[in-house]
Amino acid sequence: MSAPFRVPLLLRGEVIEQDWIEHGGRRGGAQFTAPDLAAHLPRLPLANPSSLGELYSLTLDEIIAFLEQLGDRLVLAENPYLQEAFELSRLTSGLSDPILRYHYEMIPAYFRARSVRDIAERTIGIDYLEGWVRQPDADRGAPPVSIRAVGARGVHIIAGNVPVVGVTTVIRNAITRSDAIIKTPSNDPLTTAALVRTMIDMAPDHPLTRHVSVAYWKGGDERIEPALYDPRRIEKIVAWGGFAGIKHLTRYLQPGLDLITLDPKHSGSLIGKEAFADEATLQHVAQRLAVDIGAMNQEGCVNARVIHVESGTDAEGIKRAERLGELTFAALQTLPQHLSTPHKAFDRELKDEIDALAFVDDEYTVFGGRSNEGAIIVSRSANPVDFARQLACRVANIVPVDDVSEAVRSVNSYTQTIGIFPESLKTRLRDQLAWHGAQRLVSLGGAATHNQAPGPQDGIEPLRRMVKWIVDESGDEAALAAQALG
Amino acid sequence: MTDLPSLLARDPQAFVTRDYAEGFALDEKERDQAQLEAARQRFATLAPRIAPLGRMAAENGITEVTRWEDLVPLLFPHTVYKSYPLSFIEQGRFDRMTKWLGSLTTTDLSGVQTEGIDTIDDWLRALEAGSDLAPIHTFGTSGKLSIMPRTKAQLDLTVRINANCIRDFQPQANGQKRDLLVDHLPLISPSYRLGASSIARGMNRQAELYAGGQDNALFLYPDAYFSADLLSLAGRLRAAEARGEAGRLTLPASLIARRDEFAAREAARATDMDRFFETALHRYGGQDVFLFAVWPILFEWAEEGLKRGLKGVFGPGSILTSGGGSKGKVLPPDYKQQIFEFLGFERCLEFFGMTELMANAPRCDHGNFHFPPVVVPFLLDPDSGEMLPRNGRRTGRLALLDLLPDSYWGGLVSGDRVTMAGFDAPCACGRHGPYLEPDIARFSDLKNGDDKINCAGAPEAHDKAIDFLLEKTQ
Repeated sequence: MSAPFRVPLLLRGEVIEQDWIEHGGRRGGAQFTAPDLAAHLPRLPLANPSSLGELYSLTLDEIIAFLEQLGDRLVLAENPYLQEAFELSRLTSGLSDPILRYHYEMIPAYFRARSVRDIAERTIGIDYLEGWVRQPDADRGAPPVSIRAVGARGVHIIAGNVPVVGVTTVIRNAITRSDAIIKTPSNDPLTTAALVRTMIDMAPDHPLTRHVSVAYWKGGDERIEPALYDPRRIEKIVAWGGFAGIKHLTRYLQPGLDLITLDPKHSGSLIGKEAFADEATLQHVAQRLAVDIGAMNQEGCVNARVIHVESGTDAEGIKRAERLGELTFAALQTLPQHLSTPHKAFDRELKDEIDALAFVDDEYTVFGGRSNEGAIIVSRSANPVDFARQLACRVANIVPVDDVSEAVRSVNSYTQTIGIFPESLKTRLRDQLAWHGAQRLVSLGGAATHNQAPGPQDGIEPLRRMVKWIVDESGDEAALAAQALG
Repeated sequence: MTDLPSLLARDPQAFVTRDYAEGFALDEKERDQAQLEAARQRFATLAPRIAPLGRMAAENGITEVTRWEDLVPLLFPHTVYKSYPLSFIEQGRFDRMTKWLGSLTTTDLSGVQTEGIDTIDDWLRALEAGSDLAPIHTFGTSGKLSIMPRTKAQLDLTVRINANCIRDFQPQANGQKRDLLVDHLPLISPSYRLGASSIARGMNRQAELYAGGQDNALFLYPDAYFSADLLSLAGRLRAAEARGEAGRLTLPASLIARRDEFAAREAARATDMDRFFETALHRYGGQDVFLFAVWPILFEWAEEGLKRGLKGVFGPGSILTSGGGSKGKVLPPDYKQQIFEFLGFERCLEFFGMTELMANAPRCDHGNFHFPPVVVPFLLDPDSGEMLPRNGRRTGRLALLDLLPDSYWGGLVSGDRVTMAGFDAPCACGRHGPYLEPDIARFSDLKNGDDKINCAGAPEAHDKAIDFLLEKTQ
């Protein structure tokens, strides 16, 4: 098979296009070639950590201006690197063209000065990025303390489900004045490369360009990873991705190497009995639920999959849940194209599971699921389908319960977002949900579409973890010396 | 004597009375017509009595099978025999399990008593005691076992047809044929004698029919029961581990009650295997035997045996049935050579099969798997599900119509991606009829990597499940 896509190695401002080896894309959709990283490995990590210092010749304003200028060049219609990345993603992504195009066209907006400044201020604090921040005096006589957030050397193993992951990584690396080696995923090896390649075209010797590298290697490559994941070469690993991918990293962990996991989570919805007040309310709820299920074609961790509904589990209750299923399926079918479409590579195994439901039709009612249009499966008891973990491609499971407290118990530390209706239920349950493991509570309909405010992600604050927090303590010189005299 | 095509058309089960190899001499047209007629009759008999089949036929406006295209919308998904909700088992609702299985078979299950039953093992025993079923379960993925409503008579038939295959598919070098049903051989199997897995049931029956009785058979576990519950727990545990959620699994009380039994067996596994190996050599060394084992276990023996200077331990007229590849274990390139050197014979039959099928496809010298004429293979387009033309050499999703079962519907879409040929040109081995090339992959593996419990993986998963059981109940 021909491999039309070439994925260069972008090494500290240099474009390397040699030592090609072939790689296969996911879903069998695309193949590409990339330089054999082993040949260039010694140059990949930042040999001398003190060269991070050159990033400190820049003010945050200058960094923000640089990113804004970069954003201006990341217009899909004009940038050939992005266009190529888009073409490859069309083959490998679970997102269909209109959704994918929408996400690529959104890229420049992430680089706007206001947006970047907001991230810097709200996730770390600009004063801590820019200098030493004197802390309030704790005790009388305690020495004055100042703290600064300082950049670190990291490897970022990014996910390929949506293009924004690479965008976020580049921005986070710049504002924390860190050094990033970005390992791209096989289903999207080009988008992040397109961003950084544009940086190289713009200013190859700029400190920000020289402190970001983009490489593809096959995850688990024994020639690469043991040499790279070593506290002498990097201090942080930021890992997006599946349990298996992260688990194999744990063997490299040792003091001095910090693993920051942004692992895949599952999200769901909680719908209170108020939804069934009248048909108009139910219609409204169904529309919002359809967005939480269908946006980004359910490719995100944030998308709703299992939906607990306080409809009751008696015959009337099941009927109510079914009516919600019917309305939600209808709403799913009419979502705008840039948000959601029938899935272009519907999961075969999932289809086999849906087909099997016909053999227990007194347990489940299925709306849709005939082809790739998506499906709403309504359980006729308080049990989710056995394949709840496989729900994807716009297939969700409505589970009726008598009381929402039953649903709260299904929340665990693998739960990310919960879309909730009505608001009062969110307020009532938010502490409990948090104790069970939920990480983000959002008004139903906003799970996948709210432009997430800068802040915590997956229950942690990744930017605060990406930097090193350095403490400067001063003491009274005479008092310090006096300690030796007893 | 009736010609084979008419016999197949009228009664596919009568294939058991014939030379197995005869099926591979049929020309395309006569085979196809006979199979289509048999399919027509199976559908006509079963559609009114198996509700899901009748419903699928009605939904697709199919009243009669007159061409293969009619059959495609009537093929069950391979998930059908595990379509029950796990909550039935977790909540001990085995009456619902019986009702569910009853919807997939014409066998009368009204005499099955499920009161007080809280394990899969006991439920399977209850089915056996209260009906004509000898139900079999698969090794399961994600802890959900498929349950096939096979009857006792069908179990017997599969073992007899398998014997015919051994007799006729590849006669001995001197051209002689050995009919194990008449001319018995001691049976050796490093597995369980009791249980409802396809292997346990098959081997148990083979001990009767091929070895002439249990006295002439050697099992690793002659008395222990291969537990479907433990297997199910193993699968669920593996699935939960893959998601990092193992701590959340709940255990059925009846399994906890048997923890000591499981633990003792696990602790003794290595010594039991050694003793089994020693007994096999001591009791049957130098004799012709019938041996059933997967390659990794055989290689372990061969390695150990050759180290001790043992070669050619069994008689030259012995027969091995094996298969399944290396099951993820790394074996040296000459593993078969080492195994045969140790065993002292090379007569070996490998099969492509699945628990859902009553007759498997034996492998020829050219590496291809040949379906006997009682199984009709199809290829479907992996994306659209449409039938691919039945000619040439093509790759697609394998679907099968097993013509043998008379009490449940034998039409099934598999999860396997295969390359099939042989419709219009014979295999290099000379056999006619559709065959599979050796490159067979599960679609799920192509997507997710190997995360399946297969026959060889099962003991390992079992051990992990026992560890888990002990840990949770300390």
